[in-house]
Amino acid sequence: MTGPEIPLYLTVASFLFATGALGVLLRRNPLIVLLSLEIMLNGANLAFIAFARRLGDASGQIFAVAVMAVAASEVVVGLGLVVALHRRDLELDVDTLSTLKG
Amino acid sequence: MEAAAWLCLVSPLAGALLITLAGTRISRRVAGYLSTLSVAVAFVGASITFFALLDRNTDDRTVTSEAWTWLAAGDFRVPLQILIDPLSVFMMLIVSGVGALIVAYSIGYMDGEDEERRYFAYMSLFVFSMLMLVQSANFVLLLVGWGLVGLSSYLLIGFHHERPSAVAAAKKAFIMNAFGDATMALAIFLLFWQGAPLALSGFEYADGTSQTVMTLVALGMLGGAVAKSAQLPLQTWLPDAMEGPTPVSALIHAATMVTAGVYMLVRLNPIFEAAPEVQDLAAGIGALTLLVAGLIALVQVDIKRVIAYSTMSQIGYMFLGAGLGAYASGMFHLMTHAFFKALLFLAAGIVIHALMGEQDMRNMGGLRAYLPKTRIAFLVGALALAGMPPLSGFWSKDSILAGALADGWYGRTLLVAGLIGVFLTGVYTFRMFFLVFEGDVSPYAREHIHVPEPGHGEGPFSMTSTVWVLTVLAAIGGLIQIPGLWELVSDWLDPVAEPLVEPSVLQDYTISAISVAIGLAGIGVAWWIYGHATRPSFTRRFVLAQRLLEHKFYFDEAYDWVFYKPAVWIANAWRRFVEKPLIEGSIDAVAGGTRRAGGEVSHTQTGLVRSYALALAFGVAILVLVFISVR
Repeated sequence: MTGPEIPLYLTVASFLFATGALGVLLRRNPLIVLLSLEIMLNGANLAFIAFARRLGDASGQIFAVAVMAVAASEVVVGLGLVVALHRRDLELDVDTLSTLKG
Repeated sequence: MEAAAWLCLVSPLAGALLITLAGTRISRRVAGYLSTLSVAVAFVGASITFFALLDRNTDDRTVTSEAWTWLAAGDFRVPLQILIDPLSVFMMLIVSGVGALIVAYSIGYMDGEDEERRYFAYMSLFVFSMLMLVQSANFVLLLVGWGLVGLSSYLLIGFHHERPSAVAAAKKAFIMNAFGDATMALAIFLLFWQGAPLALSGFEYADGTSQTVMTLVALGMLGGAVAKSAQLPLQTWLPDAMEGPTPVSALIHAATMVTAGVYMLVRLNPIFEAAPEVQDLAAGIGALTLLVAGLIALVQVDIKRVIAYSTMSQIGYMFLGAGLGAYASGMFHLMTHAFFKALLFLAAGIVIHALMGEQDMRNMGGLRAYLPKTRIAFLVGALALAGMPPLSGFWSKDSILAGALADGWYGRTLLVAGLIGVFLTGVYTFRMFFLVFEGDVSPYAREHIHVPEPGHGEGPFSMTSTVWVLTVLAAIGGLIQIPGLWELVSDWLDPVAEPLVEPSVLQDYTISAISVAIGLAGIGVAWWIYGHATRPSFTRRFVLAQRLLEHKFYFDEAYDWVFYKPAVWIANAWRRFVEKPLIEGSIDAVAGGTRRAGGEVSHTQTGLVRSYALALAFGVAILVLVFISVR
C-alpha cells in the first residue's frame, strides 16, 4: 500500500464537500449552485474511493461510478431548467423562484 | 303418509323457488299457474295424509317424521321434524285448501298487474310458512314458522311498494308481529332453561317447575298468539294490512296468519292448562276484542276494513272458545270462518275489481243491478258471518257460545259479550251488504262500473269459479258438526286437545235459539237504518261515539303517545345533549385542530430552495452528531 493514509483523503473530501455545501447555500445563481452540487458529490466520491482502496473492496468504486452517472443526469436536468429560465427571460436567481411557497 | 305430509310442506316452497329462479323466462300467467299448482299439490298431500290418518285407530294418530338434524349443540339437538296428528292435518287441509282457491282467484284479480311473478312467489311462500308453522314438531320450528309468516305477510302487505301507505302498513304489521315473536322466543328460552323437552306433542313440564315459570311461559306464548291473531292490545296492524291486494287480505284472514294464534292456543293446551289464569286471560282478551272490533266495524266506510274488523271479531270468538277450553269449537269456527271470510273477501274483490279499485262503500250502492251473482255469493257469506242457520257460521259460533254457557260464572260473563257481539255482527255485516248492493245505483258506480258484456259473467273465470266453490263451502261447511247428531270435528280433535267444557245438547240448542234471535235483531236494525232509500241520520245524534269509533278507540293515537313520541323525545334529547356536544364536538375538534396545525406548518414552506437545503444540511449535521454520540 503506497500513497497517503486515509485521514488525508478524508480531509480533502470533507473540504470539497464543505466548499460545495457553502456554495449551494450562499450563491443565488442556479449555474453556480449546480456547480457547487457537483463539488459536493465529488467530495463524497473521493471518500468512497479512498475507503475502497484502503479496504480492498470494489463496491466503493462501483458506487463512485454510479454517483457520477447520477451527477451527469442531474446536470442535464438542472441545465435544462436554466435554459428554460433563460428562454422565458427570467432572472437567474434561485430566490426569486419561490412560487411553491406554502 | 309421511311422504304426503312432506310433499304438502315442500310443494309451495318449491313453487316459490321455481318462480323466483325462472324470473322472466316464464310469463306472468305461467307464474300464476305454477303457484296455484304448488298449493293445490299441497292440498292433495294434506288430503292423502288426512285419509291415511283416518284409517288409523283413534289413539294411534300422532306421527312424527324427521328429515335430518337441523341444529345440534352438545346434547341439545333440534331435528327438522314434522308432526302429523289430527290437529295439524286439520290445519293443513284448511291452509292448503282455502289457500289454493285464493291463489287461483289471484290469477284473474292480479291480471295485468306489474310484478305478478313476485306476487305469486310471495303467495306460495306465505302458504309454505303457514304450513311450516302448523306442521312443526318442536318449539324451535314453530318459532321459525311464526317468523316466516310474519316475513311473508310483510312482503305481501307491502306489495305495492310504490305506495307509502302500503309500506307503512307492512312495517307496522312486521313490528307488531315481531313483538309477539319476541315474547314467544322468551317463553321458549324459559322452557329450555327449565329443561323441558322442546317437542310439541305430549308436552309436559319437567318435574319441579314452579308455577311462576309456568305462568310466564304461558304469558309469553299468549303474547305471540295475540300479536299474530291481531287481538287486543296488538290489533292495530290488521286493518292497515288492507293495503295489500285483496286476495292477500283473504289469505291473511282466512287461511294463514291470523288463525295461527288460535292454532297455538289449542296446540299448546298443556301449557295453558298449567296456567289457568293465562288461559282465562286469553278468553277475556277474545271477548273484549270481539266487542271492540264489532263496534269499530259499525262506522268503517272502506269495505275491506269492515271485513277486516269482522275478522278480528271472529278471531275473538275463537280465542274465547279456545281460552275456555272448548278447543274443538274454536277450531271448528276457524274452519267455517276460513270459508266465509275468504268468500266475503273474494266477493268484495269482485266488487272492487268491477269498480276499478274503489273501496269506499259510500261510492257504492245498487250494485245488485250489475253484479247479481256476486250479490248472492256475498249474501251467503254475510249470512254465514251473522250466524244464520243452516249456514256454516251458525253451527260453529253457537258451539263456542254453548261452551261458554257450560263454563262457570266467568264463561257466562263472557257469553254476554259474545251475544252482544252477535248483534253487532248482524248490524255491521248487513250495513255493508245494504250499502254495497241494495238501494239506488250510486252515480259513482254508474260512471265507473266495469263489467264484461252481459252473459260473460261478472269477472274472469278464475275469480267467479273460486267464489262459487267458497259459496258452497260457506253454506254447507258447518254441517259436519251438528250437536246431538254427529260431531265430526270434536271426534277428530278431542284426542289431541281434551276439551275442558262439554255443553249438553240442550244448552247447545238454547244458545242457538237465543243467538239466532239476536242476530236477526241485528240484521233488522241494519235493514231499518240502511235498507231504505232514505236513511235516518243517526250520525248527528251520536257525534262523540261516532268519532270514538272512527278513530278506532284511539289505539293508534295512544300507541303514538306511549311508545313513539317518547322514543322520539329520548332520541332528540340524546342527539342534543350527547351526540352534538360529545360525539360531533370531539370529531369537529380533531378535524379543526389538524387543519389549524397544517396552516401553521405551511409557513415553513417558503419556496426558497436555499432554505430547504439549509434545513437539510442542519438535519444531516444533527443526525451525524447523534450517530457519533450514540456509537
